[in-house]
Amino acid sequence: MTDLAAISRELRRDVVEMVYRTRDGHPSPSFSAADIITALYFSILTIDPARPDWDDRDRFVLSKGHACPILYAALAKRGFFDRQELFTLRYLNSHLQGHPYAPKTRGLDATTGSLGNGLSIALGMAFSAVIRKKDYRVYVVVGDGELGEGMIWEAAMASAHHRMGRLTVFVDNNNYQSGGTVEKVSGPYPIDEKFRAFGWHVQSIDGHDIGQILTAAGEARKVEDRPSAIVCKTVKGNGVSFMVGENSWHKRVFTDDEYRDAIQQLGGKP
Amino acid sequence: MSEVSSTRIGFRDGLLRLAEERKDVVFISTDSLLVVKGEPFLDRFPDRVIELGISEQNGVGVAGGLASSGLVPYICTYAGFLTMRACEQMRTFVSYPNLKVRFIGANGGLHGGNREGVSHQFIEDVGILRGMPNFTILCPADGGQVFEAMLASADIDGPVYIRIGSGREERVFPDGTPFPLGKIRVMADHGDDVALFAHGFVLNRVLEAARELRKAGIGAKVVEVATVKPLDRDGVAGILRATGSAVTIEDHTVINGLGSAVAEVIAEEVPARLVRLGLQDVYGESGFPDELLDAYGMSVRDIVAAAGKATAAGKR
Repeated sequence: MTDLAAISRELRRDVVEMVYRTRDGHPSPSFSAADIITALYFSILTIDPARPDWDDRDRFVLSKGHACPILYAALAKRGFFDRQELFTLRYLNSHLQGHPYAPKTRGLDATTGSLGNGLSIALGMAFSAVIRKKDYRVYVVVGDGELGEGMIWEAAMASAHHRMGRLTVFVDNNNYQSGGTVEKVSGPYPIDEKFRAFGWHVQSIDGHDIGQILTAAGEARKVEDRPSAIVCKTVKGNGVSFMVGENSWHKRVFTDDEYRDAIQQLGGKP
Repeated sequence: MSEVSSTRIGFRDGLLRLAEERKDVVFISTDSLLVVKGEPFLDRFPDRVIELGISEQNGVGVAGGLASSGLVPYICTYAGFLTMRACEQMRTFVSYPNLKVRFIGANGGLHGGNREGVSHQFIEDVGILRGMPNFTILCPADGGQVFEAMLASADIDGPVYIRIGSGREERVFPDGTPFPLGKIRVMADHGDDVALFAHGFVLNRVLEAARELRKAGIGAKVVEVATVKPLDRDGVAGILRATGSAVTIEDHTVINGLGSAVAEVIAEEVPARLVRLGLQDVYGESGFPDELLDAYGMSVRDIVAAAGKATAAGKR
């Protein structure tokens, strides 16, 4: 079996490399979602890099669009485009916008960036599958901070009302948003109980244990009469010691020393 | 001229026709199905109605998801709940990725919102959308024209906005009159003294004003600009070259709507004298539709006076 943990470390290294070389981007929000994205792109999603527009593919929506460096790294590793393109991130004429823009990036299913919007887009994709009698499923990663957006709960209510069993949401519960801890800034807890109250099937897992992520996704597939929320306890900056607990890494560029240190901690050679 | 048409029924019937012909047409309701008397659509195509309840931002987001996965969603509710409440969703998740979503905004203008008051009278919708790349903005004149605009715009490969009203509009064109997508339409031509550019539910007033002007010896052209974007710049410029003076009449704020669009052509292509009628940077209030149009500067007398003012400045 593919060593997903190794892939996840490799994708994190690509994120470090991207942010270091292009001097911009959101590293630590990428790392909290890294294992979820890895599990999705290297196990859960039914996709075909040779046919990015294949109509029967599963869809993925990164609602917390600022974490796109990790998604871009996954798309490149999966073969949607050349890895060298990663190092054009946020540059003029790049296929890789600062926040995800589907028409430009091969393999990207949804345009996102402003928070709170991804769940509605995913719900629309799921409705399309129902109406067109397709079997694909739709997966979303939302941040815990963006649960403050009312639109998330509009979509949560509608998804449960329409018994959208093919919709699965991973909540990247890294406990931080731009301005500090979510407890301090916006108070989203208890997240699991909120989704449950909205009529969702809810699981709570360790978002850095890929085995747990795969098992939870498997459980979610069995639930046909409700959408599924998988609340993933994660760590912002997970994988690099000096990024953990230091929220300035929400958006920060690595110095030469930090770059070398991060790459080494992630098992690479700077 | 007082025969009543309904832009809301025009939308619904246009949607029915499209759904019969096209499998990919779906209707998104944000508890707005009954607003457009959509029961016949629900009866015929129950699997192609998505009811989301009162959640316009979610509705537009869902529309984006549908449009990016093989369907053509039509979302209809009050114009401001789309263009203001869900403004960012229309921009970032539909207009920016250039998705094929159709927005139908009800209660356009004072006429459309009438007795509901300002929260339900939308005088900014066209101006808001004019600033968004990729959008096609259509302001049909009556129910029959809404029906035709629905058919005419069906293949546009990007977002479309169709402005409708309260459902009680005067008929302007005989049913079956084609909608001139992307082109101006000269509705009356009494001479080259002044152009009266207008769209929507004020057109019968404009036609009447043109007749009044003729009696007073001023020859006006009545020009319908039902496609506000992309504007038929060549058509507008050609009219301006002939008249050298113009009045715009729109049930919308004069800022960023038709008046501004014509002013842009005047400033960049054909110098001319312009008077803009519409809401003069103020909100409306509750009232009957015709009373409101009269009270806010869009009476026949106002149009005649504006034409006099525009022509008094003299032709070049």
